[in-house]
Amino acid sequence: MATTALTPAATGTRSSLYEWLTTTDHKKIGILYLVNSFLMFFIAGALALMVRVELAAPGIQFLKEDVYNQAFTIHASVMIFLFIIPILAGFGNYIVPLMIGAPDMAFPRINALSFWMLPLAAILILTGFLTGGAAAAGWTSYAPLSEAKYSGTGQDLWIVGVILIGTSSILGAINFLVTIFKMRAPGMTMFRMPIMAWTVLVTSTLVLLATPVLTSALIMLFIDRNYGGHFFDPASGGNAVLWQNVFWFYSHPAVYIMVLPAMGMISEVLPVFSRKPLFGYKAFVFATAGIGALGFSVWAHHMFTTGAVYLPFFSFMTFLIAIPTGVKMFNWTATLYRGQLTFATPLLFALGFLTMFLIGGINGAISAAVPVDFALHDTYWVVAHLHYVLFGGSVFGVFAGLYYWYPKMFGRKLNETVGKIHFVLMFIGFNLTFFPMHALGLAGMPRRIANYAPDAGWNDLNLLATIGGFTIAAGMVAFLWNIFVTMRSGEPAGDDPWEGNTLEWATSSPPPPYNFDHLPEIRSERPVFDARHKLSGGGH
Amino acid sequence: MGAVPIRSSSLTREGSCLMSSNRLRIVGFAVAGLVVVALLALMAVAGAFRLFPPTPVTDRAHEIDGLYHFVFAIAVGVFVIVEGLIIFAVVRYGRKPTDTELPPQVHGNNLLEIVWTVVPTIIVAVMFVFSFNSLNKVDAVANTTDVRIRAVAAQFQWSFEYLSADGQQVQFEQLAPEMTVPAGRPVHLSLRSRDVIHAFYVPKFLFKRDVVPGRENVFEFTVDPADAGQTFRGQCAELCGTFHGSMLFTVKALAPADYDTWLAAQIEKARQSPPPAGSAAPGQLELQLEAKDVKFDKATLEAPADKPFSIKFQNDDPSVAHNVAIHDSTGQEVFKGEIFQGVDVRTYPIPPLKAGSYTFVCSVHPNMTGTLTVK
Repeated sequence: MATTALTPAATGTRSSLYEWLTTTDHKKIGILYLVNSFLMFFIAGALALMVRVELAAPGIQFLKEDVYNQAFTIHASVMIFLFIIPILAGFGNYIVPLMIGAPDMAFPRINALSFWMLPLAAILILTGFLTGGAAAAGWTSYAPLSEAKYSGTGQDLWIVGVILIGTSSILGAINFLVTIFKMRAPGMTMFRMPIMAWTVLVTSTLVLLATPVLTSALIMLFIDRNYGGHFFDPASGGNAVLWQNVFWFYSHPAVYIMVLPAMGMISEVLPVFSRKPLFGYKAFVFATAGIGALGFSVWAHHMFTTGAVYLPFFSFMTFLIAIPTGVKMFNWTATLYRGQLTFATPLLFALGFLTMFLIGGINGAISAAVPVDFALHDTYWVVAHLHYVLFGGSVFGVFAGLYYWYPKMFGRKLNETVGKIHFVLMFIGFNLTFFPMHALGLAGMPRRIANYAPDAGWNDLNLLATIGGFTIAAGMVAFLWNIFVTMRSGEPAGDDPWEGNTLEWATSSPPPPYNFDHLPEIRSERPVFDARHKLSGGGH
Repeated sequence: MGAVPIRSSSLTREGSCLMSSNRLRIVGFAVAGLVVVALLALMAVAGAFRLFPPTPVTDRAHEIDGLYHFVFAIAVGVFVIVEGLIIFAVVRYGRKPTDTELPPQVHGNNLLEIVWTVVPTIIVAVMFVFSFNSLNKVDAVANTTDVRIRAVAAQFQWSFEYLSADGQQVQFEQLAPEMTVPAGRPVHLSLRSRDVIHAFYVPKFLFKRDVVPGRENVFEFTVDPADAGQTFRGQCAELCGTFHGSMLFTVKALAPADYDTWLAAQIEKARQSPPPAGSAAPGQLELQLEAKDVKFDKATLEAPADKPFSIKFQNDDPSVAHNVAIHDSTGQEVFKGEIFQGVDVRTYPIPPLKAGSYTFVCSVHPNMTGTLTVK
C-alpha cells in the first residue's frame, strides 16, 4: 500500500524539536494532544490518589481541608478539561482525516493553535497551587462560593484557563466540521463515513453550540470577581441559580462531548475484532444525533434540588435520553452476536466500556426519577455514577482506541500480555474504587467532604475505595511499562495488523505526510474490508 | 448484503489465525470468567453493603423509598438482561481454529431496531409516570401546620429559628445545630442562607434541598410517630467552602406533648435576659482555649478533680458560632457553654468534676474535639 511520501519542502535542516513545536501535520498534532493529555491524566490521577488517601480513614490525616478542596477541584477540572475532552480531540485529529481519506485537517495552522492553547491553560490552572491556593470551589465553581468574597486568585487563574480551553475547543470544532464536510475522499458519502467520524461531527456541533455559553458565563464570573459585576451574587442583586443554569447548559452537553467520541472508538473496535460490520449503522448515526439534540434539554437535572427548576420537564427529557443510549448498547451487543471474537487488548477495553457504561447509564436513569435524586444528589452515589460514565465509559474507550491505533501511529504493536495485565488491574481497580461509592452515597455520605465521623458507618467502604484507587494506579504502571517496552522492542505492526475496515489501515504505519498516495475504492463504510475481500470491484 | 459467508482471500492470514486461535479462545474464556467473577463480586458487595437507602423515618421518605425500590428493580432487570447478552456473546462467539471463513455479514435488522427503541420507551415512560406521581406527593406543601421552623445556614454552621404559627415572628433561635421537631405532626421547614449555597440533607429523610442565598426554599415532612425520641444525623450536602465537611446537625424527634413543653420552655428561656458572662473566682484555675479555623488550638486540657474551675474560651472565627461542651466517658453531656459568634470571648464556669477522662467538644461543630483529663 501507500508508502511513498510526498516530500514537504525544506524539512531537511529542521531539528526534530523545532519540527514538533511548529508542526501543522494533523498526525503530529494528534500525538501532541495525546502526550499532553496523558501527562494531565497522571497529574489529575495523583490528585485523586491524594483525595483517596485522606478519605481512607475518618478524621484529617494527610491533607488539610483547604488543600483537600483544591485537590478535588483541580482533579476534576484537569480530568475533564485537560484530559478527556482534549484526548478525544487528539484521537479525532489523528484518525478522522485518515478515515475519510483527507490529506490533513482543513485548517492546519488553526489546528496547531488549538493545541498550543492547552499547555498554556494547564500552566495557568496548575500555578494556582503556587499563588496561595488553586481553585477550590469544585469544577462546577458554583457562585457565590466562586465569587471574590469566598475564593482567592486560584479561581481567576481557573477561569482564564477554562476560557482558553473553551476557545481551543471551538476552533477545533470548526476545523473538524469543515474537514468532515469538505474534505472527504471521492466516494466517501456521509453514510459511508466510519461511526467515529460521525461521533466527532456530532461532538463538534455540540462544542460549537454549547461552549460559547460557558465562555460567557466565565467572563461574567470574572467581571463579578474583578470589576464589581452583579451577575451571580445575591448579596449585590445577582442570582446564584443563574450560574448553574448557564454552567450546566454547557456542561451537560459536555458530558456527551466527553463520551460520544469514545463511543465512536468502540464502534470501530467491536466490528474489527468480531469480523462483522457494525450492527445497525444508520440507527447508530441517528442515535448519536438524537443524543446530541436531547443533550441540550436536560441540563437542569443537575439542579433538581435547587427548588428553582421545572422538575417534570427535565425529568422527562432525562428519561428520554436513555432511549438512544439504549439503542447503541443493543447495537453493540448485536455486533458481537454470531461474530468471531478475537480477545486482543482493544476488544477487552471495549468490552469493559460496554459493561461499565451500562452501569453508568442505568444509574443515570435511576436518578432521573426526581424524588430518588432528592436522596442521591450530591452524595457519593453521584460520584459513582459520573465515574462509571466518564472513567468506566470514556477512559476505557480511550484505552481501547489507544491499543487499537497505537500500531498505526508508531508502527509497533503494544505488548499484548502487558496490555491484558493493564486491563485486568484497571477493571478490578475501577470497580473496587467506584462500586462501593453507590452504597456510601445511599448511606448518606456527601461529596466533597474531607472528613467524616468514625461512627457514621462509612469506614470500610472508604478504605475499599482507596485500595481500588491504588489498584488502578498499578494498572497505569503496567501501561507505562508497556509503552516503554514497546518503544524498545515492540513487534513491528505493518500497515494493517488487525484486519481493519477503515481507510487509515490502507496507508503505511505511521502514515506519510499527507497520508495517502493511493486510496482504495470507497463503496461502503468498510473500504479496506471490501478491498481485502475483493468485494464490489474494490481493490486495485 | 445478506447473511452469506464470504471466503477469506488471504491464505497467509488464515495460517496465522489458525496458530493463535486456540490461545485466543482460552483468553476468551478467561475474560468471560473474569467478567462473571467480577459480577459475582459486585453482587457480594451489593449484599454485604446495602444498595438501598437507610430506613426511612418520614412520610416523604417512605414515598421516596418505595419509588427507589421500584426503579431499582427495573434497573437490576435491565442490567441482568443486557449484561447477560454481552456475557453470552463473549462466551459463545470466541473465534475458533476452524473459523477461517468470515461469519455472516449481518448489517442490521429494522424490526430489531424498532423493538429495542419501543420497549425502552415504554419502560422509561412507566418510570416517568411513577416518579411524577411520587414527586407530587413529596413536594406537596399544604401550609396548614403550626410547626414552622426556619433553618439558617452560613459558613459553617446551622441554626434553627422557631416561627410563630403564622410564620411571621421568630419565637426563639436555636444557635446549636440541633433541630427539634414533633413526631407525627407536619413540619413546615423554610431554608435561608446567609452567604453561599448550602444544602439541608438528612439521610434518613431520603431528602435534601438546597439553601440558596436570595431565595427561600420550603418543604414539609412528618416524622413517623414511632420514631419519637430518635435523633437523626444531618449535614450540609453542597460544597460551601473550606470546612464544608464540618457543617453537621442533628434532628431530634419528640412526642408531640414533649415538643410543646420543650418549645414553651425554650421560648420562656429566650425571654429572660442572657446570663452575664462569668469571670473566674479568685484563686480558681482558669484554662485557656481558643477556636480558630473551626479547630480548637489545644487537643488536651487538664483540671483538678472535685474543684470548680473555669475555661476562658476565645472564638477567633469571625461570624462563626462556637462553644465548649464537656462530655464524660459515656458520652453524657456534663456541661454545655453558651454558643456565641466570633470574634468574641466567654468565660465558662465549670462545676466540680470527678477524676477521669472527658471530651470537650464544640456543639456547633462536632468534629472539633479534645480530651479533658481531670485528676
